[in-house]
Amino acid sequence: MKIENNQSRIIKDTIGKILLYLASALSVMTLVVIIGFVFVKGLPGINIDFLTRQWQAKTTFINVELKNTEDTNLSDSYIASLGAHVEQNEDGYIAVTKLEKDSVLKDSKNLKGAAYEVKVDDVITKVLATDTKNITLEELNKQFNDAAMNGETLKLKVTRPGGGIKPMVVSTLYIILLSLAIAAPIGILSALFLTEYAKRGKILVVIQFAIQMLAGIPSIIYGLFGMLVFVQMLKMQYSILAGALTLSILLLPTIISTTSEALKAIPKGYRESSLGLGATKLQTNFKIVLPNALPGILVAIILSIGRIVGESAALIWTAGTIAQIPSSLTGNTASAATLTTKLYQLLKEEGDVASACSIAVVIIVLIWVLNLLSKWITRRFTVKN
Amino acid sequence: MKTTKIREKIIETLFLICALISVISVVAIIAFVFSKGLKPFFGENAYSFTDFITGVHWNPENNQYGVFYMIAGSVFATAGAILVGVPIGLLTAVFIAEVAPKSIVNIIKPAIELLAGIPSVIYGAFGMGIILPIIQKISPQPQGQSLLAVICVLTIMILPTIITLSESALRAVPNSYSEASLGLGASKMQTIFCSVVPAAKSGILSATVLGIGRAIGETMAVMMIAGNAIGGIPTSIWDKVRPLTVNISMEMGYASGRHQEMLFATGVVLFVFIMFVNITVMRITRKAGEKN
Repeated sequence: MKIENNQSRIIKDTIGKILLYLASALSVMTLVVIIGFVFVKGLPGINIDFLTRQWQAKTTFINVELKNTEDTNLSDSYIASLGAHVEQNEDGYIAVTKLEKDSVLKDSKNLKGAAYEVKVDDVITKVLATDTKNITLEELNKQFNDAAMNGETLKLKVTRPGGGIKPMVVSTLYIILLSLAIAAPIGILSALFLTEYAKRGKILVVIQFAIQMLAGIPSIIYGLFGMLVFVQMLKMQYSILAGALTLSILLLPTIISTTSEALKAIPKGYRESSLGLGATKLQTNFKIVLPNALPGILVAIILSIGRIVGESAALIWTAGTIAQIPSSLTGNTASAATLTTKLYQLLKEEGDVASACSIAVVIIVLIWVLNLLSKWITRRFTVKN
Repeated sequence: MKTTKIREKIIETLFLICALISVISVVAIIAFVFSKGLKPFFGENAYSFTDFITGVHWNPENNQYGVFYMIAGSVFATAGAILVGVPIGLLTAVFIAEVAPKSIVNIIKPAIELLAGIPSVIYGAFGMGIILPIIQKISPQPQGQSLLAVICVLTIMILPTIITLSESALRAVPNSYSEASLGLGASKMQTIFCSVVPAAKSGILSATVLGIGRAIGETMAVMMIAGNAIGGIPTSIWDKVRPLTVNISMEMGYASGRHQEMLFATGVVLFVFIMFVNITVMRITRKAGEKN
């Protein structure tokens, strides 16, 4: 009887152990598969061009003022004398490979007369009326030289290649800075109020309830709210400001609760000694309490950055999905896609899984670095205390 | 002396105002979403609320707005994710907290944390790239978008929440519990499943409820794989679904007038669900707090 009991116990224990290992293996496997999928699909698309170029190719007609119009012996190397080095690219067009510092191409103007700086990588697709496809360099030099002899300003059609994520990176950065500029002070001061000033009572209960509610509301509801209030009622249109305002509400619970934890962890003695030495409560808070809570506040900010980088539902209907670097806070030119919203749009509307995964690789690396950073800060400062 | 006192008072009020911004935000969100979302059911030309809440067809062009099948979709998807995700997550948490050697914990934990930080659209990409093709192969229906796909992705998405919260609940159980159990001759597994896990019950429960909240509110990942049916309660896991969140996000971009108000009404339904979940979480945590 006793032996049987023991046997069934051993069997049960083994089953339990197997289940534990299986479940853990499954959890880790999903991560490996997801990361593997994203990297396998996305890594081939990542290179310097992908990280630094604009998203959309942009074509501009420009006028170049040619300076050395009298020099006619340069027909073979005329372009070089302008301070530019060119080469035929894969499509047969002429790409600028190198520009001297004082190249006249850098002082070109577009048709409206505004300055347009030709940059390395730009492709010259037309000289005057001649298409440059499959043109030889000699012919091109001749074209330039002829134009110069006639004393004309040279009309070029220049295409700046796209396919890069620069605008999304910049927009993400803008939105991070804007949201934090709004949410961080409010969140930190709220935490200060909740831990240092508020007495137990109705106000405290109401505020804490509100924060818990905010933390639970799904981001699509924030998106609805932001669209109704900021985009439509306050007439900000799809803009980074509308997006940042929506996000800053969404970030408040994270910032407040993380900062509160940090404030609560500061020993009471610190405050008492400061107050005992005659400092006011305000001085104590700003000179003793907040500096000591700095690591916690930093962690709160890093967590918020992670949240902003990953957010999509609250941003699509407030900041829009246009891949451009916003040039204002509100209005027509302020709509901007972050990395994540662009990734969504690529998947859903264009079905472009490869580019989407390339962006996903960038995002995952970013999140991973943020994770490491917050852990490093926590470890470093908790050991010290 | 007096001026400092006044200054302190002013600053304190300023802090209070900052703290009240959270309250104002919640009130504003509720007020705006509800006022816009409840508008179509009142006044002239009102849409019947019963038709809205029990209808199983969504066809804005024919003035047909039924959300019952979306509620069903949301509930089924969430229930499925919880049924699969909680056992796996809990077992993983037990493994991390009680069984695994430190070297393995040091690998698994960062992995879980990374999983928690990955944005939902990337889970959507994963669903589109891996899960949909697999389901398409084995499904009796022509498309891969289905309730099953949603359940798979949501399960993966709630795992980190369940694992981290359950793990900290398990770690909070005093050592004396397992020592007493082991001392009475129970095996390691018996100790874990009969003594430690039951003691961490309330933490695990609140992890589950938070998982429900996350699953029901998830939008972007689900939108890419749900199939977004225009009507009909899902009857099998191969059917297309259209959870509440998806309905809002799908049509928000171009909706106007009554149609837009109905999307806000969908938001109200979602909000009521979430509120219910939130209040349950608060109750559980408060109860646990009282016990200690």
